Amino acid sequence: MTEKTTSDRYRVPRRRFLQLCTGLLAAALYPGAGDLRAAVRPLRGGPHPAPRPGITAANVLSHDQLAGAAHAIDVFDQIREIPEIADGIRCQCGCADTPGFYSLLSCYESDGMARFCDICQGEGRMVYRLHKAGQTLDEIRAAIDARFG
Amino acid sequence: MRLQLLLCPAVLLLGALDLTAQVKASEPAKVSQTIDGTELTLEYSRPRVRARDSVFGKVVKWEEVWTPGANWATTLELSKGVRLDGHPVPKGKYSVWLAVHPTGPWTMVLDPRNHRFHTEHPDSTAEQIRFNVTPEEGPFTEVLSWSFPEIRVTGGTLAMQWGTTRVPFRVDVEPSYSLATTAAKAGPYIGRYTFDWVQKQPGDTTALTLTITHKDSILVGEWNPLPWPEAGPFILIPIKEDWFITGFTEKGELYQVEKDMVIEFARKRGQKLASAFEVRGEGDSLMATGKRKP
Repeated sequence: MTEKTTSDRYRVPRRRFLQLCTGLLAAALYPGAGDLRAAVRPLRGGPHPAPRPGITAANVLSHDQLAGAAHAIDVFDQIREIPEIADGIRCQCGCADTPGFYSLLSCYESDGMARFCDICQGEGRMVYRLHKAGQTLDEIRAAIDARFG
Repeated sequence: MRLQLLLCPAVLLLGALDLTAQVKASEPAKVSQTIDGTELTLEYSRPRVRARDSVFGKVVKWEEVWTPGANWATTLELSKGVRLDGHPVPKGKYSVWLAVHPTGPWTMVLDPRNHRFHTEHPDSTAEQIRFNVTPEEGPFTEVLSWSFPEIRVTGGTLAMQWGTTRVPFRVDVEPSYSLATTAAKAGPYIGRYTFDWVQKQPGDTTALTLTITHKDSILVGEWNPLPWPEAGPFILIPIKEDWFITGFTEKGELYQVEKDMVIEFARKRGQKLASAFEVRGEGDSLMATGKRKP
Protein backbone atom coordinates (compact mmCIF):
# COMPACT_ATOMS: atom_id res chain seq x y z
CA MET A 1 0.00 0.00 0.00
CA THR A 2 1.30 3.39 -0.91
CA GLU A 3 1.35 5.93 1.84
CA LYS A 4 -0.76 8.94 1.08
CA THR A 5 1.40 12.00 0.68
CA THR A 6 0.58 15.54 1.60
CA SER A 7 0.09 16.40 -2.03
CA ASP A 8 -2.74 13.90 -2.34
CA ARG A 9 -4.90 16.19 -0.28
CA TYR A 10 -4.80 18.85 -2.94
CA ARG A 11 -6.92 18.74 -5.97
CA VAL A 12 -4.97 18.52 -9.18
CA PRO A 13 -4.75 22.11 -10.41
CA ARG A 14 -3.76 23.34 -7.02
CA ARG A 15 -1.25 20.59 -6.54
CA ARG A 16 0.18 21.31 -9.94
CA PHE A 17 0.53 24.96 -9.10
CA LEU A 18 2.28 24.25 -5.87
CA GLN A 19 4.55 21.62 -7.29
CA LEU A 20 5.68 24.01 -9.96
CA CYS A 21 6.83 26.37 -7.26
CA THR A 22 9.21 23.75 -5.93
CA GLY A 23 12.77 24.79 -5.52
CA LEU A 24 12.41 28.32 -6.71
CA LEU A 25 14.75 30.90 -5.33
CA ALA A 26 14.31 34.60 -5.72
CA ALA A 27 18.04 34.93 -6.22
CA ALA A 28 17.80 32.66 -9.20
CA LEU A 29 15.43 34.83 -11.16
CA TYR A 30 16.08 34.90 -14.84
CA PRO A 31 18.66 37.64 -15.41
CA GLY A 32 17.98 38.12 -19.08
CA ALA A 33 14.31 38.76 -18.76
CA GLY A 34 14.63 42.31 -19.89
CA ASP A 35 15.87 41.11 -23.23
CA LEU A 36 12.77 39.16 -23.95
CA ARG A 37 10.64 40.95 -26.42
CA ALA A 38 7.00 41.86 -26.10
CA ALA A 39 4.56 39.05 -26.15
CA VAL A 40 3.47 37.91 -29.58
CA ARG A 41 0.48 35.68 -29.15
CA PRO A 42 -1.34 35.28 -32.45
CA LEU A 43 -4.92 34.11 -32.44
CA ARG A 44 -5.50 30.54 -33.48
CA GLY A 45 -6.77 31.08 -36.94
CA GLY A 46 -8.49 34.41 -37.18
CA PRO A 47 -10.42 37.30 -35.76
CA HIS A 48 -13.50 37.19 -33.60
CA PRO A 49 -16.78 36.96 -35.53
CA ALA A 50 -19.41 39.65 -35.57
CA PRO A 51 -22.49 38.57 -33.61
CA ARG A 52 -25.27 37.71 -36.04
CA PRO A 53 -28.23 40.08 -35.75
CA GLY A 54 -31.15 38.49 -33.98
CA ILE A 55 -29.15 35.47 -32.83
CA THR A 56 -30.84 33.51 -30.06
CA ALA A 57 -30.08 30.57 -27.81
CA ALA A 58 -32.79 28.47 -29.43
CA ASN A 59 -30.26 25.90 -30.61
CA VAL A 60 -28.25 25.65 -27.41
CA LEU A 61 -28.49 22.08 -26.18
CA SER A 62 -31.13 21.46 -23.54
CA HIS A 63 -30.61 19.61 -20.27
CA ASP A 64 -32.16 16.55 -21.88
CA GLN A 65 -29.53 16.66 -24.58
CA LEU A 66 -26.70 16.85 -22.06
CA ALA A 67 -26.94 13.31 -20.81
CA GLY A 68 -23.50 12.20 -19.75
CA ALA A 69 -22.25 15.75 -19.44
CA ALA A 70 -23.79 16.85 -16.17
CA HIS A 71 -20.64 18.75 -15.26
CA ALA A 72 -21.26 21.08 -18.20
CA ILE A 73 -24.92 21.89 -17.60
CA ASP A 74 -24.09 25.08 -15.72
CA VAL A 75 -22.04 26.54 -18.53
CA PHE A 76 -24.66 25.61 -21.14
CA ASP A 77 -27.17 27.49 -18.98
CA GLN A 78 -24.83 30.47 -18.84
CA ILE A 79 -24.39 30.55 -22.60
CA ARG A 80 -28.15 30.25 -23.00
CA GLU A 81 -28.39 33.61 -21.19
CA ILE A 82 -25.92 35.46 -23.43
CA PRO A 83 -26.09 34.11 -27.00
CA GLU A 84 -25.42 37.53 -28.50
CA ILE A 85 -22.13 37.74 -26.59
CA ALA A 86 -21.02 34.16 -27.19
CA ASP A 87 -21.72 34.69 -30.89
CA GLY A 88 -19.08 37.43 -30.99
CA ILE A 89 -16.31 35.21 -29.64
CA ARG A 90 -14.03 32.99 -31.69
CA CYS A 91 -13.42 29.71 -29.93
CA GLN A 92 -9.70 29.16 -29.48
CA CYS A 93 -9.78 25.37 -29.13
CA GLY A 94 -9.39 24.89 -32.87
CA CYS A 95 -13.00 24.04 -33.62
CA ALA A 96 -13.55 27.42 -35.28
CA ASP A 97 -12.10 26.00 -38.49
CA THR A 98 -14.63 23.18 -38.57
CA PRO A 99 -17.39 23.54 -41.18
CA GLY A 100 -20.58 24.81 -39.60
CA PHE A 101 -18.87 26.54 -36.71
CA TYR A 102 -19.39 30.28 -36.53
CA SER A 103 -18.57 31.28 -32.97
CA LEU A 104 -18.26 30.07 -29.40
CA LEU A 105 -22.04 29.78 -29.45
CA SER A 106 -21.68 27.05 -32.09
CA CYS A 107 -19.81 24.93 -29.54
CA TYR A 108 -22.98 24.81 -27.47
CA GLU A 109 -25.29 23.85 -30.34
CA SER A 110 -25.73 20.88 -32.67
CA ASP A 111 -23.10 18.27 -31.70
CA GLY A 112 -22.37 20.27 -28.57
CA MET A 113 -18.60 20.18 -28.64
CA ALA A 114 -18.59 22.08 -25.34
CA ARG A 115 -20.04 19.01 -23.62
CA PHE A 116 -16.56 17.51 -23.54
CA CYS A 117 -14.13 20.29 -24.46
CA ASP A 118 -12.46 21.95 -21.48
CA ILE A 119 -11.44 24.96 -23.54
CA CYS A 120 -14.97 25.60 -24.85
CA GLN A 121 -16.25 25.32 -21.29
CA GLY A 122 -13.55 27.51 -19.80
CA GLU A 123 -14.14 30.18 -22.42
CA GLY A 124 -17.88 29.98 -21.86
CA ARG A 125 -17.57 30.41 -18.11
CA MET A 126 -15.14 33.26 -18.47
CA VAL A 127 -17.25 35.05 -21.08
CA TYR A 128 -20.28 34.79 -18.81
CA ARG A 129 -18.37 35.97 -15.73
CA LEU A 130 -16.83 38.97 -17.46
CA HIS A 131 -20.13 39.92 -19.10
CA LYS A 132 -21.85 39.83 -15.72
CA ALA A 133 -19.02 41.98 -14.38
CA GLY A 134 -19.98 44.63 -16.91
CA GLN A 135 -17.24 44.17 -19.48
CA THR A 136 -17.89 45.03 -23.11
CA LEU A 137 -17.64 42.51 -25.93
CA ASP A 138 -14.30 44.00 -26.98
CA GLU A 139 -12.97 43.72 -23.45
CA ILE A 140 -14.15 40.14 -23.23
CA ARG A 141 -12.52 39.35 -26.56
CA ALA A 142 -9.24 40.80 -25.29
CA ALA A 143 -9.49 38.65 -22.19
CA ILE A 144 -10.20 35.53 -24.25
CA ASP A 145 -7.19 36.29 -26.45
CA ALA A 146 -4.93 36.81 -23.43
CA ARG A 147 -6.10 33.68 -21.67
CA PHE A 148 -6.68 31.22 -24.50
CA GLY A 149 -5.07 32.73 -27.59
CA MET B 1 1.81 -20.52 -73.78
CA ARG B 2 4.39 -22.37 -71.74
CA LEU B 3 6.31 -19.16 -71.13
CA GLN B 4 3.13 -17.41 -70.03
CA LEU B 5 2.47 -20.13 -67.53
CA LEU B 6 5.97 -19.75 -66.18
CA LEU B 7 5.66 -15.99 -65.86
CA CYS B 8 2.33 -16.14 -64.12
CA PRO B 9 3.62 -17.05 -60.65
CA ALA B 10 6.35 -14.44 -60.97
CA VAL B 11 3.79 -11.75 -61.75
CA LEU B 12 1.65 -12.87 -58.83
CA LEU B 13 4.70 -12.74 -56.54
CA LEU B 14 5.55 -9.25 -57.69
CA GLY B 15 2.01 -8.19 -56.95
CA ALA B 16 2.37 -9.39 -53.40
CA LEU B 17 5.52 -7.33 -52.76
CA ASP B 18 5.39 -3.79 -51.47
CA LEU B 19 7.22 -2.09 -54.30
CA THR B 20 7.62 1.08 -52.26
CA ALA B 21 9.76 -0.72 -49.71
CA GLN B 22 13.43 -0.36 -50.39
CA VAL B 23 16.57 -0.94 -48.45
CA LYS B 24 18.75 2.12 -48.68
CA ALA B 25 22.34 2.71 -47.70
CA SER B 26 21.19 6.00 -46.20
CA GLU B 27 17.75 5.56 -44.73
CA PRO B 28 15.46 8.61 -44.62
CA ALA B 29 14.73 10.24 -41.28
CA LYS B 30 12.88 13.16 -39.83
CA VAL B 31 13.42 14.96 -36.55
CA SER B 32 11.20 17.69 -35.26
CA GLN B 33 11.28 19.83 -32.15
CA THR B 34 8.86 22.45 -30.89
CA ILE B 35 10.21 25.17 -28.63
CA ASP B 36 7.76 27.72 -27.25
CA GLY B 37 5.49 27.28 -30.27
CA THR B 38 8.23 27.36 -32.90
CA GLU B 39 8.59 24.07 -34.76
CA LEU B 40 11.91 23.09 -36.32
CA THR B 41 11.91 20.06 -38.62
CA LEU B 42 14.85 18.41 -40.31
CA GLU B 43 14.40 15.81 -43.02
CA TYR B 44 17.48 13.97 -44.16
CA SER B 45 18.96 10.70 -45.23
CA ARG B 46 21.38 9.06 -42.84
CA PRO B 47 24.66 7.77 -44.27
CA ARG B 48 26.63 5.30 -42.21
CA VAL B 49 30.36 5.35 -41.66
CA ARG B 50 30.55 1.67 -42.64
CA ALA B 51 34.16 1.25 -41.45
CA ARG B 52 35.38 3.96 -43.76
CA ASP B 53 38.16 5.92 -42.10
CA SER B 54 38.44 9.69 -42.15
CA VAL B 55 34.88 10.55 -43.03
CA PHE B 56 35.79 14.17 -43.39
CA GLY B 57 38.61 14.68 -45.84
CA LYS B 58 37.95 11.43 -47.70
CA VAL B 59 34.27 10.51 -47.88
CA VAL B 60 33.43 14.20 -47.72
CA LYS B 61 36.13 16.05 -49.61
CA TRP B 62 37.65 19.13 -48.08
CA GLU B 63 36.32 22.39 -49.55
CA GLU B 64 33.19 20.59 -50.70
CA VAL B 65 29.82 22.24 -50.14
CA TRP B 66 28.24 19.14 -48.68
CA THR B 67 24.73 18.44 -47.50
CA PRO B 68 24.93 16.87 -44.02
CA GLY B 69 22.96 13.83 -45.07
CA ALA B 70 22.70 11.92 -48.32
CA ASN B 71 20.62 11.59 -51.47
CA TRP B 72 18.31 14.62 -51.52
CA ALA B 73 19.71 17.56 -49.61
CA THR B 74 18.88 17.77 -45.94
CA THR B 75 16.13 20.31 -45.31
CA LEU B 76 15.36 22.51 -42.35
CA GLU B 77 11.82 23.83 -42.05
CA LEU B 78 10.90 26.56 -39.56
CA SER B 79 7.34 27.43 -38.59
CA LYS B 80 8.57 30.82 -37.33
CA GLY B 81 11.75 32.79 -37.63
CA VAL B 82 14.61 31.75 -35.34
CA ARG B 83 18.22 32.68 -34.70
CA LEU B 84 20.87 30.10 -35.45
CA ASP B 85 24.14 30.91 -33.73
CA GLY B 86 22.80 34.44 -33.48
CA HIS B 87 21.97 34.76 -37.19
CA PRO B 88 18.34 35.50 -38.04
CA VAL B 89 16.71 32.80 -40.17
CA PRO B 90 13.18 33.61 -41.35
CA LYS B 91 10.32 31.17 -41.36
CA GLY B 92 10.58 28.83 -44.35
CA LYS B 93 12.15 25.68 -45.70
CA TYR B 94 15.82 25.52 -46.63
CA SER B 95 18.23 23.01 -48.02
CA VAL B 96 21.15 22.64 -45.61
CA TRP B 97 24.78 22.64 -46.68
CA LEU B 98 28.13 22.81 -44.96
CA ALA B 99 31.27 24.05 -46.66
CA VAL B 100 33.89 21.88 -44.97
CA HIS B 101 37.50 22.90 -44.48
CA PRO B 102 40.47 21.02 -43.00
CA THR B 103 41.22 23.86 -40.60
CA GLY B 104 39.29 26.74 -39.16
CA PRO B 105 35.54 27.20 -39.10
CA TRP B 106 33.15 25.64 -41.58
CA THR B 107 30.40 27.56 -43.33
CA MET B 108 26.74 26.81 -42.81
CA VAL B 109 24.68 27.48 -45.93
CA LEU B 110 20.89 27.61 -45.82
CA ASP B 111 19.45 27.81 -49.31
CA PRO B 112 15.78 28.61 -49.99
CA ARG B 113 16.02 26.25 -52.99
CA ASN B 114 15.14 23.36 -50.77
CA HIS B 115 14.66 20.48 -53.22
CA ARG B 116 18.10 19.70 -54.55
CA PHE B 117 20.00 16.50 -55.00
CA HIS B 118 23.17 16.21 -52.98
CA THR B 119 25.29 16.51 -56.12
CA GLU B 120 23.72 19.88 -56.98
CA HIS B 121 26.07 21.86 -54.79
CA PRO B 122 24.52 25.29 -54.58
CA ASP B 123 26.23 28.30 -56.03
CA SER B 124 26.44 31.34 -53.79
CA THR B 125 23.35 33.53 -53.96
CA ALA B 126 22.14 36.57 -52.11
CA GLU B 127 19.12 34.63 -50.85
CA GLN B 128 21.26 32.17 -48.94
CA ILE B 129 21.99 32.53 -45.28
CA ARG B 130 25.64 31.86 -44.56
CA PHE B 131 27.56 31.90 -41.32
CA ASN B 132 30.59 30.26 -39.79
CA VAL B 133 30.28 27.27 -37.50
CA THR B 134 32.91 25.48 -35.49
CA PRO B 135 33.16 21.71 -35.79
CA GLU B 136 34.31 19.90 -32.69
CA GLU B 137 35.37 16.43 -31.66
CA GLY B 138 32.53 14.27 -30.39
CA PRO B 139 31.77 10.68 -29.49
CA PHE B 140 31.83 8.34 -32.48
CA THR B 141 28.49 8.27 -34.26
CA GLU B 142 28.07 5.53 -36.86
CA VAL B 143 24.97 6.97 -38.51
CA LEU B 144 24.82 10.66 -39.33
CA SER B 145 22.46 12.22 -36.82
CA TRP B 146 20.67 15.50 -36.37
CA SER B 147 19.32 16.02 -32.89
CA PHE B 148 18.27 18.55 -30.28
CA PRO B 149 20.35 17.46 -27.30
CA GLU B 150 19.52 20.53 -25.23
CA ILE B 151 16.28 22.47 -24.90
CA ARG B 152 15.74 25.73 -23.06
CA VAL B 153 12.56 27.75 -22.73
CA THR B 154 13.79 30.21 -25.32
CA GLY B 155 15.81 27.89 -27.51
CA GLY B 156 18.18 24.98 -27.47
CA THR B 157 20.97 23.27 -29.34
CA LEU B 158 20.71 21.63 -32.73
CA ALA B 159 23.59 19.29 -33.46
CA MET B 160 24.87 17.30 -36.42
CA GLN B 161 27.09 14.34 -35.61
CA TRP B 162 28.87 11.92 -37.88
CA GLY B 163 31.98 9.91 -37.22
CA THR B 164 33.83 11.78 -34.51
CA THR B 165 32.73 15.21 -35.74
CA ARG B 166 30.03 17.21 -34.10
CA VAL B 167 28.70 20.59 -35.25
CA PRO B 168 26.44 22.29 -32.69
CA PHE B 169 24.18 25.24 -33.47
CA ARG B 170 22.63 27.47 -30.86
CA VAL B 171 18.92 27.97 -31.55
CA ASP B 172 16.99 30.94 -30.19
CA VAL B 173 13.26 31.21 -30.81
CA GLU B 174 10.96 34.19 -30.53
CA PRO B 175 9.71 34.08 -26.93
CA SER B 176 5.95 34.20 -26.64
CA TYR B 177 6.00 35.97 -23.28
CA SER B 178 7.68 39.00 -21.87
CA LEU B 179 8.68 38.49 -18.26
CA ALA B 180 9.67 42.06 -17.71
CA THR B 181 7.35 44.57 -16.10
CA THR B 182 8.31 48.23 -15.86
CA ALA B 183 8.38 49.83 -12.45
CA ALA B 184 5.40 51.99 -13.39
CA LYS B 185 3.33 49.00 -14.47
CA ALA B 186 4.43 46.90 -11.51
CA GLY B 187 3.61 49.56 -8.93
CA PRO B 188 -0.12 48.86 -8.56
CA TYR B 189 0.45 45.24 -7.64
CA ILE B 190 3.36 45.50 -5.22
CA GLY B 191 2.38 44.84 -1.65
CA ARG B 192 1.14 42.22 0.78
CA TYR B 193 -2.08 40.30 0.31
CA THR B 194 -4.07 37.70 2.14
CA PHE B 195 -4.20 34.41 0.26
CA ASP B 196 -7.16 32.11 0.76
CA TRP B 197 -7.80 28.85 -1.00
CA VAL B 198 -11.40 28.52 -2.07
CA GLN B 199 -11.50 24.82 -1.33
CA LYS B 200 -10.10 24.35 2.11
CA GLN B 201 -8.13 21.19 2.67
CA PRO B 202 -7.24 19.48 5.92
CA GLY B 203 -3.85 20.68 7.02
CA ASP B 204 -4.04 23.96 5.16
CA THR B 205 -2.03 26.68 6.75
CA THR B 206 -4.37 29.41 7.79
CA ALA B 207 -3.60 33.10 7.28
CA LEU B 208 -1.30 32.87 4.30
CA THR B 209 0.29 36.07 3.09
CA LEU B 210 1.33 36.61 -0.53
CA THR B 211 3.98 39.28 -0.92
CA ILE B 212 4.53 40.76 -4.35
CA THR B 213 7.77 42.59 -5.03
CA HIS B 214 9.49 44.02 -8.08
CA LYS B 215 13.04 42.71 -8.53
CA ASP B 216 15.21 43.13 -11.60
CA SER B 217 12.22 44.24 -13.70
CA ILE B 218 10.24 41.16 -12.70
CA LEU B 219 7.19 40.87 -10.47
CA VAL B 220 7.78 38.12 -7.94
CA GLY B 221 5.25 36.45 -5.66
CA GLU B 222 6.24 34.75 -2.42
CA TRP B 223 4.11 33.09 0.22
CA ASN B 224 4.59 33.28 3.94
CA PRO B 225 4.31 30.83 5.51
CA LEU B 226 4.79 28.38 2.68
CA PRO B 227 1.55 26.64 1.73
CA TRP B 228 3.62 23.70 0.68
CA PRO B 229 6.99 22.71 2.11
CA GLU B 230 8.84 23.17 -1.17
CA ALA B 231 6.84 26.10 -2.48
CA GLY B 232 9.05 28.94 -3.61
CA PRO B 233 8.75 32.29 -5.33
CA PHE B 234 7.14 32.55 -8.73
CA ILE B 235 7.15 35.14 -11.49
CA LEU B 236 4.02 37.05 -12.43
CA ILE B 237 4.02 37.32 -16.22
CA PRO B 238 1.70 39.98 -17.62
CA ILE B 239 -0.76 38.85 -20.28
CA LYS B 240 -3.21 41.72 -20.02
CA GLU B 241 -3.77 44.71 -17.77
CA ASP B 242 -4.26 43.34 -14.24
CA TRP B 243 -3.88 39.72 -15.42
CA PHE B 244 -0.83 37.55 -14.89
CA ILE B 245 0.16 33.99 -15.49
CA THR B 246 2.86 32.30 -13.47
CA GLY B 247 6.40 31.43 -14.45
CA PHE B 248 8.92 29.28 -12.69
CA THR B 249 12.71 29.42 -12.78
CA GLU B 250 15.53 27.20 -11.76
CA LYS B 251 19.15 28.32 -11.60
CA GLY B 252 18.28 31.55 -13.32
CA GLU B 253 16.52 29.94 -16.26
CA LEU B 254 12.80 30.07 -16.84
CA TYR B 255 11.67 26.49 -17.28
CA GLN B 256 7.89 26.53 -17.15
CA VAL B 257 5.11 28.98 -17.87
CA GLU B 258 1.80 27.93 -16.40
CA LYS B 259 -1.04 29.31 -18.51
CA ASP B 260 -3.73 27.57 -16.52
CA MET B 261 -3.21 29.67 -13.41
CA VAL B 262 -4.24 33.25 -13.97
CA ILE B 263 -3.98 35.85 -11.24
CA GLU B 264 -6.55 38.56 -11.91
CA PHE B 265 -6.11 41.71 -9.89
CA ALA B 266 -8.96 44.11 -9.21
CA ARG B 267 -8.85 47.80 -8.37
CA LYS B 268 -11.47 49.87 -6.66
CA ARG B 269 -12.94 52.60 -8.80
CA GLY B 270 -10.54 55.52 -9.06
CA GLN B 271 -7.79 53.69 -7.19
CA LYS B 272 -4.37 53.07 -8.65
CA LEU B 273 -3.41 50.23 -6.34
CA ALA B 274 -4.84 46.77 -6.80
CA SER B 275 -7.07 45.96 -3.87
CA ALA B 276 -7.68 42.26 -4.39
CA PHE B 277 -7.08 39.33 -6.70
CA GLU B 278 -8.55 36.06 -7.81
CA VAL B 279 -6.64 33.01 -8.96
CA ARG B 280 -8.43 31.32 -11.83
CA GLY B 281 -7.58 27.80 -12.89
CA GLU B 282 -8.59 25.43 -15.64
CA GLY B 283 -12.12 25.94 -16.84
CA ASP B 284 -12.11 29.39 -15.25
CA SER B 285 -12.55 27.78 -11.83
CA LEU B 286 -11.91 30.04 -8.86
CA MET B 287 -9.01 28.60 -6.90
CA ALA B 288 -8.01 31.32 -4.50
CA THR B 289 -8.71 34.90 -3.53
CA GLY B 290 -6.74 37.59 -1.79
CA LYS B 291 -7.09 41.10 -0.44
CA ARG B 292 -4.48 43.78 0.00
CA LYS B 293 -3.21 44.07 3.54
CA PRO B 294 -2.87 47.48 5.10
